[in-house]
Amino acid sequence: MNLNVINANIIVSIKSFYRDKTVVFFRLAFPVILILVFGTIFMERDNEIFDLNIQDLDGTASSGQLITAMDLSKRFKITMVDPALNPRPYAMGDKANLVLILPKGFEMSLMEEMSAGSSGKSVTLTTLYDPSSFGVTTKMGVLELVLARINQEMSGKPAPIDLTEVSILKKKYRFIEFFVPGIIAMAVMTACLFGSVNLNAELRQKGVLRKLSTTPITRIDWILSNVLYQFILAVVSTLVMLVVSYFVFNVSLAINGWLLIFVALDVFAFVGLGMILTRVAREAESAAAAADALMFPMMFLSGTFFPVEMMPEFLQKFAKVLPLYYVNEGLRASMVFVDHMASLRNALFIGVFALVVFVIGVMITTFSGEAA
Amino acid sequence: MTTNTPYAIEVVGLTKRYNGFLAVDNLSFTVKKAEVFALLGPNGAGKTTTVEIIETILKPTSGTVTLLGMDVTQKKYDIIPRIGVLPQGFSSFDRITVRETLEYYSRLFGCRKTDIKGLIALVNLSHKANEQYRNLSGGLKQRLGIAVALVNDPEIIFLDEPTTGLDPRARRKVWEVLLGLKKKGKTVFLTTHYMEEAEVLADTVAIIAKGRITAMGSPGELIENNVDYFTMTLTSVDEKMAENLVGIIRDMGFDPVPDTNDDTQGSLKIFLEHTDDVRRILNAVNHGKASFISLDIRKPNLEEVFLKITHEPFRHDLSSRRETP
Repeated sequence: MNLNVINANIIVSIKSFYRDKTVVFFRLAFPVILILVFGTIFMERDNEIFDLNIQDLDGTASSGQLITAMDLSKRFKITMVDPALNPRPYAMGDKANLVLILPKGFEMSLMEEMSAGSSGKSVTLTTLYDPSSFGVTTKMGVLELVLARINQEMSGKPAPIDLTEVSILKKKYRFIEFFVPGIIAMAVMTACLFGSVNLNAELRQKGVLRKLSTTPITRIDWILSNVLYQFILAVVSTLVMLVVSYFVFNVSLAINGWLLIFVALDVFAFVGLGMILTRVAREAESAAAAADALMFPMMFLSGTFFPVEMMPEFLQKFAKVLPLYYVNEGLRASMVFVDHMASLRNALFIGVFALVVFVIGVMITTFSGEAA
Repeated sequence: MTTNTPYAIEVVGLTKRYNGFLAVDNLSFTVKKAEVFALLGPNGAGKTTTVEIIETILKPTSGTVTLLGMDVTQKKYDIIPRIGVLPQGFSSFDRITVRETLEYYSRLFGCRKTDIKGLIALVNLSHKANEQYRNLSGGLKQRLGIAVALVNDPEIIFLDEPTTGLDPRARRKVWEVLLGLKKKGKTVFLTTHYMEEAEVLADTVAIIAKGRITAMGSPGELIENNVDYFTMTLTSVDEKMAENLVGIIRDMGFDPVPDTNDDTQGSLKIFLEHTDDVRRILNAVNHGKASFISLDIRKPNLEEVFLKITHEPFRHDLSSRRETP
């Protein structure tokens, strides 16, 4: 191993990187954009307030009180619909996916029901909804919960069964805080896999690797240069993601040694895998296609965007053979749960994988194109 | 490591097979120190395979190659610092400048005292020193490639098709650089399919065809030993007149062929053994009321030798073609 050679390679790689604005954008800005987009979506989810359209056909004090009670639940942003309007075309005109209709005679029926001679019949409210609209089911579920709470309070008796929430975490975390470690793992993986495949396939196709084979550089020097260069970029990219997450979404995660360890293992594993793909696939295009074929299942099935537990059982088993799963789990264990044992366990899994692919990568990489 | 051998390169029984295909077939030759050696051959003859084995890039199937007294399969990392290589179709990092490229390769060789500025000047790239590789023309890229091959001040320089794809002007610029190396006493191993290049630059030329060396010697020796005719070229006004000339000359028992170096389609080449034949052809053309606009008579050159030896499509074997005049 020659440190001068490795240093020379890293300098050339970094110069090539920052002189190519497209690469800089995709390497640094793209993960940030993902965080901004998904962060915005899921920040809303954490304290979600639903739009609720109400048409009060009764117009009485009781119907007004019900609307006030619903407003006080802080789960809805209420818009009143003119009683003179036909609610169906109103809803179909994309103005609302759910309209709650308080019928004429609501107050009278409610009084009768609450009086001593109750008939046992409930007062019926109608919800007019668009079943094709995304999220309307959730909104209806929340509406039912709020109405159940109002019913309970109107009965004047305490609820026989109540629920207290206790988090397994010391601190209350939002979804974005679970999401950021996943994006870090994914961004490092894609950059390393594609960076390694594209760079090596292009250099091989252009004959640069052939030229390098007539210099004192060895395979280990070359692969270590690739790994260190990708590690430097991965650290910079991770810092950018963390800083943006902190300043835009006030994301606070535990930053400790495990973060560096997992980023390093992520880099080793996927640069090594990229080296193998470059050697196995003869052309740059087929190497990139092979990288795609490996990357996409890992992106979606390793728990980056949604928890693995949401997937069918066979996919959960499949997820556990994907190396990115252990990087995701390890980063969350260290940054979110601060669980050192879980971090260690995941680090061992991805560490063994990284070691195996790195050794295979070194063994099969050649500059000349002949078998090593 | 130093050796007493007068040879920079010794190749004995070199053979290379690719999945059963015989690319190099039992080659043996030597290259003296400080000589310019050209391996000349058509595309697919085995030039690049041969040179890449000597450069330590490829491994031979059998045979031995000794470079500066060291076996290329055993002493790769001892040999590499002492040679400079311009591979076929040299390429480098797109966004790295000329100066940075040379600094990079210099660092790979661990050379602290490389005269980068001097190298850039040697290949006439001073005005492009800060230009990124991707912005250089083909000729400039090749000149940078030659400079890269020299960063470690090598004892032997390998240049694999250094001027392929370059326009004539760029080619001559590269030749100037190579002639400069020759003056400095460097051993240069050149592969090319340009005859003129070998003729201008090389002390020794080896002609390779189908993986075998078919002739070797100085350009003068090769010409003297292999061809005993000269070439007469007649250029006519147009194709119709050229056809007229062909008819007349064929009637005399000669076999004129189109001059492939001429784009106008109106030039004919006739291969002759005796100077007397020139007078006879000119008389016949005159009597036949045909005309031409130019006449060129040349001694054979390396190209003719090459065409004869390699049996390329426009080979002209006078003895089998000529009838009694």
